Amino acid sequence: MEIEVILAISMFLVAIGALLAGFPVAFTLGGVALVFALIGISLDVVYLSDLKNFPARIDGIMRNGVLVAVPFFVIMGVVLERSRVAEDLLAIASRLLGQIRGGLGYAVVLVGALLAASTGIVGATVITMTLIALPTMLKQGYDPKLATGIITSSGTLGQIIPPSIVLILLADAIANASAQASTGLGGRAVSISVQDLFSGALIPGLLLVCLYLAYIAFNAITRPQSCPPADVSDLPPLTARQIAMGLGAPIALIFAVLGSILLGITPPTEAAAIGAGGAVLLAGFRLSEDTPTKLRPLLFVGLASAALLLILNQSFELSVKQDTLTTADKIAQFIAFACIGGLLAGLGAGLLILRRARHLKSAFMSASHITSMVFTILIGASLFSLVFTGSFRGDEMIEGVLTAMPGGMWGALAITMLVMFVLGFFLDFIEIIFIIVPLVAPPLIVLGVDPIWLAILMALNLQTSFLTPPFGFALFYLRGAAPDSVQTLDIWRGALPFIGLQIIMIIAVAAIPALATWLPSLGAS
Amino acid sequence: MSEFFLNLGTGLRWLGFGALPLLLLPLLVFALPARLARPANWLRTKLDAISSATLGLSMTLAIFMVAVQLLVIIGRYMFDWSASWANDLIIYSFAAMFLLAAGSTLKHDAHVRVDILREGMSAKQRAAVDLAGLYLLLFPICLLIIWASVSPSFIRSWANFEGARESDGLPITYIFKTLVPLFAILLTLQGLSMALRSALTLRGHTDTPDAPASNAEAAHGN
Repeated sequence: MEIEVILAISMFLVAIGALLAGFPVAFTLGGVALVFALIGISLDVVYLSDLKNFPARIDGIMRNGVLVAVPFFVIMGVVLERSRVAEDLLAIASRLLGQIRGGLGYAVVLVGALLAASTGIVGATVITMTLIALPTMLKQGYDPKLATGIITSSGTLGQIIPPSIVLILLADAIANASAQASTGLGGRAVSISVQDLFSGALIPGLLLVCLYLAYIAFNAITRPQSCPPADVSDLPPLTARQIAMGLGAPIALIFAVLGSILLGITPPTEAAAIGAGGAVLLAGFRLSEDTPTKLRPLLFVGLASAALLLILNQSFELSVKQDTLTTADKIAQFIAFACIGGLLAGLGAGLLILRRARHLKSAFMSASHITSMVFTILIGASLFSLVFTGSFRGDEMIEGVLTAMPGGMWGALAITMLVMFVLGFFLDFIEIIFIIVPLVAPPLIVLGVDPIWLAILMALNLQTSFLTPPFGFALFYLRGAAPDSVQTLDIWRGALPFIGLQIIMIIAVAAIPALATWLPSLGAS
Repeated sequence: MSEFFLNLGTGLRWLGFGALPLLLLPLLVFALPARLARPANWLRTKLDAISSATLGLSMTLAIFMVAVQLLVIIGRYMFDWSASWANDLIIYSFAAMFLLAAGSTLKHDAHVRVDILREGMSAKQRAAVDLAGLYLLLFPICLLIIWASVSPSFIRSWANFEGARESDGLPITYIFKTLVPLFAILLTLQGLSMALRSALTLRGHTDTPDAPASNAEAAHGN
């Protein structure tokens, strides 16, 4: 065997071993790669100049305009979470649906799907829902197995349903892989955008929601005692205002953001920024309900300004490049400029209200930390791939293994999925995207796998992995946040039926690729 | 002018080499914990303060970039207006936001770890893993980044005050490029603080000045 191959294989194995020691993943990946690069240099199989390219890789990450969407979505998520908007959403949905059998379960599934934007990464959805919904479900006499199964599986739904952050990262990785594969395909490049992946994930994601809901309904019919209706007679009825603010407003925001991406009105980055701005306004409204403040009118000014801007844009010519504006247009332009001021004032008021409620610092600290965490992993992973691919030609080795698989494309796909499933036990979604996808996706695409189809299969696969005992991430998060009275074994057994549903979905998408590729193809034509 | 920056670059380089032994400080603390615990903790508070300060900048940039992006959207869709400098402002804020927060992210232990085995470890075992990881993994990466990024082309970028690629871009490419070594320096400094803490933990000196930091962490944790 060539020395590079030995080094590449041992580098991979050492990296996995080192990860288990528990040092931060970002530095473990990069550091192990660096150690092996130095070994390679001492053996004269790696050039020092390979390592000099590392800052250029970092520069590429810093200039990646697509990934700017990540901090915007993170900000949107943490602001909605800290201002308790997310909590209200779940509470009100549970109150509305809770009175029917299985209703609390339906509420958790639907809210889990809606919260996708905010929390694809850290399992915060699972923790939030465990803290809020699990005690209620148990108090109402839900079977603990069913209750925990619903919460863990709904928590992972956020990864597959757009606009999830991991889908943005996956889109970036798949787009690069696809560009790389185009040389193998004789220049037939398939360009993949975030929008493609969002629309590709939509049908499988929604079908998954339906499967979950159907499973709860099945339980409600066959085992009524497992999910009894909630008793709400001692609570004051919800007012229409509460429903509109707590349920309507966040849903409207999420749909506006998602809709403008899927319909191609704005690129994901812009939609995400609008989502972040909307979340600040929404948080301002939510927090000023509890503690009245003089800033509240400014929020309305901000909202009205945004609406007025849209109306003016429809009715008048506002272009600053036009010289031949009518007087009416000029007046409209003037009002529009004032509206920008109003909008900024509204956002400022939202931030000030967050600050007074002592949520501003913690929210933006989280946003900075989460963003830094994601991109530091990307930096560490790029050093890993610089050495593994650039110096040791490890990608050719993987390509060789994949193309030699019996069964051609399907064999290669199956082994990839299996390996990813196992890696999902101890690596998070992001690390797998940054490390594994660049290695396996190009040869798979050359073998004839559709990039979008591949991405969706990977996402479903990893989501299943996170649910699978004993190592699934979602189960750990739930265990950490659940009361001790809930047996760990019940959590594991509760996840099993949902793993079954996941497998059904994976098989369905594998058998009918159109489930993932049909919607994106509409956008392309 | 370029002469000046070449000299400055060389000067900083020697300063960097001169500062390298500082990385051995945690090992010294490990050897003489009783005598060095207090100065080590004093140094840690200073290093942590640097991370907090750059975190503040990062958080401000996060708010700033949302505002700028919203203005760019309004400008583009309504007023038929666009400018490269505005887009540069967003990209630069984005890069600075995640690079400047790196030290603080380490301080608050917000980097993802694989915690299957870590959960069962004692405080000392964790400190040992951290100390080994810092010296074998984190410090070498940071030194690589500093060594490779402070290149002749980087010094030239400063010497010419390298501007933007587009004529109406933000003319601070040289500052943008400086973020890369700065990121590595911030990580090194916070890594040094972490190494000092780990060394003290290993020698049974559970730390005192950490109290405010861990409070902030608790507030941030949930």
